[in-house]
Amino acid sequence: MRFPDEMRWAPGSVWSIPLRYGLAFVSVAVALGAATAFAHFHLPQTFAAFALSAIAITFWYAGTKPGILAALLSSIVRNYLFDPTTSTESRLLFDLVFLVFALLMTLVLRGRNQLELKVAERTAELTELNGNLKREIAKHNQVEAELRLSEAYLAEAQRLSHTGSWAWSPPSGDIRYWSEECFRVQGFDPKGGVPRYEEFFQRVHPDDQARVADVIETAVRKREEFMFDYRIVYPNGEIRDAQSTGHPVLDPSGGLVEYVGTIIDVTERKQAEKERERLREAQAELAHASRMTTMGELTASLAHEVNQPITAAVNGASTCVRWLTREDPDLGEAREAAQGVIRNAKRAADIINRIRSISKKGESNRQLADVNELIREMIALLRSEAKRHSISVRTELDAGLPKVMADSVQVQQVLMNLIMNSIDAMKDIDQERELAICSQRADKGLLMISVSDSGVGLPPQQTDKIFDPFFTTKPHGIGMGLRISRSIVESHGGRLWAADNTPRGASFYFTLPAPADVGA
Amino acid sequence: MSGHKDNQLVAIVDDDDSVRGTLQELLRSAGFPSRAFESAEAFLGSGHQQETACLITDIRMPGMSGLELQARLNAERCRIPTIFITAHGDEEMRFQALRAGAVEFLPKPFDDEVLIESIRAALNR
Repeated sequence: MRFPDEMRWAPGSVWSIPLRYGLAFVSVAVALGAATAFAHFHLPQTFAAFALSAIAITFWYAGTKPGILAALLSSIVRNYLFDPTTSTESRLLFDLVFLVFALLMTLVLRGRNQLELKVAERTAELTELNGNLKREIAKHNQVEAELRLSEAYLAEAQRLSHTGSWAWSPPSGDIRYWSEECFRVQGFDPKGGVPRYEEFFQRVHPDDQARVADVIETAVRKREEFMFDYRIVYPNGEIRDAQSTGHPVLDPSGGLVEYVGTIIDVTERKQAEKERERLREAQAELAHASRMTTMGELTASLAHEVNQPITAAVNGASTCVRWLTREDPDLGEAREAAQGVIRNAKRAADIINRIRSISKKGESNRQLADVNELIREMIALLRSEAKRHSISVRTELDAGLPKVMADSVQVQQVLMNLIMNSIDAMKDIDQERELAICSQRADKGLLMISVSDSGVGLPPQQTDKIFDPFFTTKPHGIGMGLRISRSIVESHGGRLWAADNTPRGASFYFTLPAPADVGA
Repeated sequence: MSGHKDNQLVAIVDDDDSVRGTLQELLRSAGFPSRAFESAEAFLGSGHQQETACLITDIRMPGMSGLELQARLNAERCRIPTIFITAHGDEEMRFQALRAGAVEFLPKPFDDEVLIESIRAALNR
């Protein structure tokens, strides 16, 4: 172990050289003074004792060399100042005593120095250990602070997400851990401590208890995960919606240790779902009302569309009767005419079914649908209306389009709105009136359907307003058609937009996503 | 049963295939030779106007309407006895057609006996 130099014990470092040697002189002088004073009062001759003390003090405080000097000085003082009359033997004896004492002191001093060095080393070791310990404590404190912070974040996250976490041991029935948020969600007072399982179960709505117990029991028996929705009844009668999930923790041999899981307060989420459901219903109502309005406008055309096959069927039936009631009935002709009746009656029924399906009110029902077929059906329905306004209808339908997942009635409503708008835009113009409906593939797995006309075009400076609710350019319009169409298209994951045509007219485009995993 | 001459052709103008086809069949069962056209323009362009003894036409059609066809024929001094058949007939339209010289104005669907009587009446003019 290495020490910094200043830690190594040395008297020289404490006292300067003149002071150290000065101590030799001063201490011997004091010894002489003390002995002289003793002699003056006729006390026993004690210079040697005082001198030895002086030598010892000098050795101890000033070091080896000043100590040896003190011994020499003591010898000289004894032999020449204090007792000059003494014999040579006595002088030699005292010299020997001082010499031996000086040697002893040298040894003592060395021992002391070694001891002090050891103490210094030990001190340094302890200082270092202490430093390490302090660092470790600091580190521990930091980790603890981080842990506390992380716990605080977790608690905050649990509070924000209304998610509590728990650990429960089915073998003992004890709830082993119950997070702060669990107390809040279940409506327990944290001061009451972690609730017992029975207390938790008592808070479950009576109508849900049997189901919850069954789900938990089954999961525990099979060592499986569980998840269930339930209602919590607070002591004040308030009812909350919650959801709990849990998964088993098994020991290496497959024995059940405990379940850990969560409790989530889903009251607000459920509420929002209900709101969304109400909104969806309201939208469906509005869409239906809008469809019915349009169908109302189409009554004359639709009646004509139904009347044609009925007329054909009546003609056929009349023809059949005529062949049968001739003088020589012609059964072959009669049969052919009767077959025509069947064909035309079916055609009338088809049209009526189409009208009924467009008029029906119901849940959104998405199925794989052929967009081209939807377009063709809608054109069949609106053909009379176009004809009434001398509008020719042209289609460009890409035969290789994949089917789309869509609500057929809603998509037809969009088509009907766009086609009716186009007819409206063209019915008062003198030039050629053409309605073009195209279907094609667009980018990114989308199908694009366009409805173009040669009419008056979009209202100038208000192109972006046409999709606003209650915006209309028609004398009797309510201005919801395009709004509803856009919401229908967007609910299918597509977009609806409009653009002016050159030299005249407007085009409306909408996209529908083609599912990648279903065939054409 | 036939009270008509063989060269007296009945022309049918209707844009609806099935109505046109079944009407032609009905006339055939009643012993009337007929020709069918899908539009007023097609009839005018066929060159059969002069030999047509009776015209049965729809009113509402893409392009020229039945009433316009009647007016056109009148203007060309080609007065063919005309029977209108329509699904949208209102009184005003009926009055206009009859004033312009129509033999009959029948709402679709029509009674075959009434139609055939009207044709006979037209042919016997």
